[in-house]
Amino acid sequence: MSTVDERPTAEAEEPEGPTNRPEPSYRLREWLSRPYVRHILIIFVILTLAIIPAAWLVIHFMNLSGAPASDIMYEIERTMFVFTLVSAPVMAITATILLYSLLGWGRVHGEEPPMQESPAIRSNPIAIFGWIGATSLLAAFLVIWGLVELARITEMSNGTTRANQQPTTAKPLDINVTGQQWLWTFEYPGQQSITSDVLVVPIDTPIYFNVTSKDVIHNFWVVELGVKIDANPGAITNTGVTPNKLGNFNIRCAELCGLHHAYMETQIKVVTQEQFDAWVREMGGKKFV
Amino acid sequence: MSTTTASSTQQIPRSPTTGELVTTTARRNRLGIWLCIVSDATGTVALLISYVYLWSLNVNSAWAPPKDSFAPDLPFWLIVAGIVLAAATMWWGVRGMAKGHRGQLILASALSSIIVLVTFVGQIVQLSTFPFAITEGAYASATFWLAMATAIHLSVVLFLTLAIFNRTRAGLFTQSNHSHVRLVAMWMTWVCVSALLGAVVTTTMKVSPNTNSPTFGTFSQSSNK
Amino acid sequence: MSTDVILTSDIHEQMAVHQPKQRGKAGGFLRRTNVLTGSALGIVLSAVTYAIGSKMVPWGTQNADYSQVGLNALVGATYVAWVIGFMIGIGAFAGPVRWMLGHDITHDDSEYMAGKGQGKWKYWKYTTDHKVVGLQYLVMALTLLGFGGFFAMLIRTELGVTWAEVFDPNFYNSLIGTHGIVMIIAMIIVVAGPLGNFIMPLMIGARDMAFPRLNALSFWLLFAAVPPLLSNLLLGGIRDGWTVYQPLGAQAPVGMIGYQICIITFAFSTGIAGVNLITTIVTMRARGMTWNRVPIFVIGILAAAIMGLVWFPMYQYSQVLAFSDKVVGSSFFIPQEGGSVWLYENLFWLLGHPEVYVIVVPATAALLELMVVFLRKPLFSYKVAVAGFAGIVGLSSVVWVHHMYMTGWAPSAGYPFMLSTELISIPFGFLVLVMLGTLWRGKVWTRLPMMTVYAVLWCKIIGGITGVYLSDVPVDQYMHGSMFVVAHFHFMLMGAGLFGAMGAIAYWFPKMTGKMLHHRLGMVGFWVSFFAFQVTFGSMFVAGLQGQPRRVLQFDNAFEISNWISTIGAYLIGVGMLIFLYAIITSWRSGTIAPANPWGAKTLEWQTQTPVPLENFPVLPVVTSDPYGYGVPDPYDSIELKLTDENLKVGA
Repeated sequence: MSTVDERPTAEAEEPEGPTNRPEPSYRLREWLSRPYVRHILIIFVILTLAIIPAAWLVIHFMNLSGAPASDIMYEIERTMFVFTLVSAPVMAITATILLYSLLGWGRVHGEEPPMQESPAIRSNPIAIFGWIGATSLLAAFLVIWGLVELARITEMSNGTTRANQQPTTAKPLDINVTGQQWLWTFEYPGQQSITSDVLVVPIDTPIYFNVTSKDVIHNFWVVELGVKIDANPGAITNTGVTPNKLGNFNIRCAELCGLHHAYMETQIKVVTQEQFDAWVREMGGKKFV
Repeated sequence: MSTTTASSTQQIPRSPTTGELVTTTARRNRLGIWLCIVSDATGTVALLISYVYLWSLNVNSAWAPPKDSFAPDLPFWLIVAGIVLAAATMWWGVRGMAKGHRGQLILASALSSIIVLVTFVGQIVQLSTFPFAITEGAYASATFWLAMATAIHLSVVLFLTLAIFNRTRAGLFTQSNHSHVRLVAMWMTWVCVSALLGAVVTTTMKVSPNTNSPTFGTFSQSSNK
Repeated sequence: MSTDVILTSDIHEQMAVHQPKQRGKAGGFLRRTNVLTGSALGIVLSAVTYAIGSKMVPWGTQNADYSQVGLNALVGATYVAWVIGFMIGIGAFAGPVRWMLGHDITHDDSEYMAGKGQGKWKYWKYTTDHKVVGLQYLVMALTLLGFGGFFAMLIRTELGVTWAEVFDPNFYNSLIGTHGIVMIIAMIIVVAGPLGNFIMPLMIGARDMAFPRLNALSFWLLFAAVPPLLSNLLLGGIRDGWTVYQPLGAQAPVGMIGYQICIITFAFSTGIAGVNLITTIVTMRARGMTWNRVPIFVIGILAAAIMGLVWFPMYQYSQVLAFSDKVVGSSFFIPQEGGSVWLYENLFWLLGHPEVYVIVVPATAALLELMVVFLRKPLFSYKVAVAGFAGIVGLSSVVWVHHMYMTGWAPSAGYPFMLSTELISIPFGFLVLVMLGTLWRGKVWTRLPMMTVYAVLWCKIIGGITGVYLSDVPVDQYMHGSMFVVAHFHFMLMGAGLFGAMGAIAYWFPKMTGKMLHHRLGMVGFWVSFFAFQVTFGSMFVAGLQGQPRRVLQFDNAFEISNWISTIGAYLIGVGMLIFLYAIITSWRSGTIAPANPWGAKTLEWQTQTPVPLENFPVLPVVTSDPYGYGVPDPYDSIELKLTDENLKVGA
């Protein structure tokens, strides 16, 4: 009643000593000459090339409703694009080995345990350190990219820079956003506090949002502009954006907020400065300077 | 089993249910108690986080109870002192039992039970005489629950000390087999730490450092409350 | 390790040494208790509580502008009475009370409690045998998965019917929440419950778990926790998602009380199970089973138990405090009175994230354990696998804020938590490496459990890559709270978790039930589920990319097509799962009798007979190597040597 394995393991049989050890370059050539290695490399390249177009597909789906309508959204899409490209080889190598394991290295059917055993490979330092090195490098790249992008969009949210690194000269427009079950209210404190249930903003002007809630947590999501922040009861959160595309875009609530959460939608109208001034006058507010 | 092992069982008794040496089960139980303590510690930390976080935020300027009637410090420390005394007594009993003095453990567990009972009653009195109701703000809620956690801990400890007293009297603990007493003492030591942490935060963090929290549902930041 | 080799007969021989007195028949009070007496007492006690309470409660007391405190308190007391009544009725308190009175249990008592001589009836009693508890957990997990799956079908029906509201919003939101939490509970227990209890002690060569009575306690606490949860749908529902963010939860009808009581009770159950599993693994391994000879599944269970034990109380206390807000009117999460919504979110996600790994890690470990058997190859680099699990346990506790990037809580916390979250892909990569390395050059024995390995690796890679997107704060600024997140975590929890659990259950089914799982039916069910799963959640990724928020019942026309596809896929998953369930039930009832070791595996659980005897092993095993001694010497090694000789000649 024990797991004693009488057979010595493959490792034990492997001859040791420098005399039998071939040159590394020779070992590499020998390894590459194995049929399965060649097949796997070919399938890997083909799959990688097949997955890469997914990067464009992802952006295509995100752009269906008119994005990107701000520099922030542009940065988000660029990050998605780069991450998809970087992921392609990872996905491809996994899929390749899965496929090759199912189809290439042989299969045994039937109910009895197979008599033929596979090669006893217990470890391979090159594979282990190569894999750890590669995944660590990938993770490092993703982290650094993410940190830099986060710093960039944080600056953009604060209205201090544009994507082209030019400091903006325009004065930011403050808007107070209040979420309540189940509607949004937008207040323009600089325009004699006119209020609206549709968000109207001038193009190319930094907008600065103060967000809060009157009851439960909501999430203020301006979809095509890549703006998202929770509206918390009892706290004020801030974010910002500079719209750079004229048109009507969606505002949705992205945090379950009760019965009619699904219907807590409104629109953002990005208009020219003149149209915005006219709208403010119509609402009875003071002209935005 | 060989005869040599059988002779060694003369020294160390075996568990009646599984036949293992009681030292083996004692080691196992000790790990179990440590794990219980770790798990319970996370819960205590959750309460401490709640207290300290709400204290630091002062949401809607509603942290403090009405008229700033914070709970007096002394009861918290008296309760901590009671638990520490009970735990120390129990450890004294454990040391006695280790030397084979059963009487010392009977005395210690009886004393310990009485002290725990008195402390438990004291905790209930403190809970019912707070100068605020649990509904009156975040401080009231957080303080109430820290005291409540101590009360729950004390009721468990009371069960354990009474059991130890009863079992010692019945002669179920011997010099070579008294691991249960040690486990109970370990648990009591943890309850001391937990109550102490609660007392430290409730007595040192009272007036919130945040004086300009936004008024609920608006964009104005006011400190007039 | 000093677990002695003890013959069963010796246990009886040394009874004379230090024996408590047997009072009456073996089992004592527990002879008269079972699930019926437990339910009866639970129902009676809760009915009495409700009757007395409804005379006393000040109806209509309002908490701020939210909920009826009086009604909540009444329902809360009723549920607590149910849990306590049930546990008394089934005999859970008999042990502690006897201990306190000094009436210690005898060997005969403990054998009775382990189910000796009670036939099938032992599955309905407070039975301590780990094999009984394991099967109880299996049935409970399958039942919960059935409920959760049924709720999922209803949700997809609502989302597929884009032209009308099938359910009213309250019921629909309750469905979402109930589906979520039922599935989370089912997935937490589905591997660690049945297999961690039934298989793990066998695998390490132990006679039972370290604390058999706690084992029974953990299962019956779970049993007591389920009725309050499911009854929420009759009491107005939990219309707040499984996360139940406050103060939305404070507004909810009294059904919310059922959720809170369930979580508080379930957390006790999990904590107790965690203590038991860890202690068993650390102290009860067979002689000679050093830490580098422990089967990798046991390491996975250990990792999951540690995460559950350490972090579950955070979730428990978040619900205790929310319960207190609802029934006594405290204000932990009520902002008007000084509470904070961010406090709830932090407490919740401090468990909420490790819990994901509590689900995925045991399933992954089970696949690592079984794939070597079907490839007839050793596990590739055991140490890397252990390092992967260790890394996940370590990092799991410092990533929770990635669920809160968009809450506005400490915006600068995004930087460190993005770092820690993306770092966790490295230990996950370790596990993928071990799986790929084990697949490498292996001849596959194409049985059902092995097929799940392919499915899980595929789902895990997709879930992992989409997880990397979501861990990135800028991307999360678009994706948070969208259908993309839903698709991502279903790929992890269902794709990697549930399919892995199906493989693990199929693999150990012969040992647990004594019958072989019907191969062809199981394969059909599994593959239908798998491909339908890809359709359902692949399409959901598209809806998320287009900007569909999650937890909505009506949406923009732009999302219609992807939702129709998802709904069709979901129905097909349902069909596949029903076929799989049918395979399990028919095989269990009337399948072919399984031999003791049908897979030719080397781990200890297959070395004892089937059905497993009460004491597991006639003689406790002694372990002299790790259980992965499969395989033949690598043929390429000899070729290499031959070529090298030629090479040397050419060189000379």
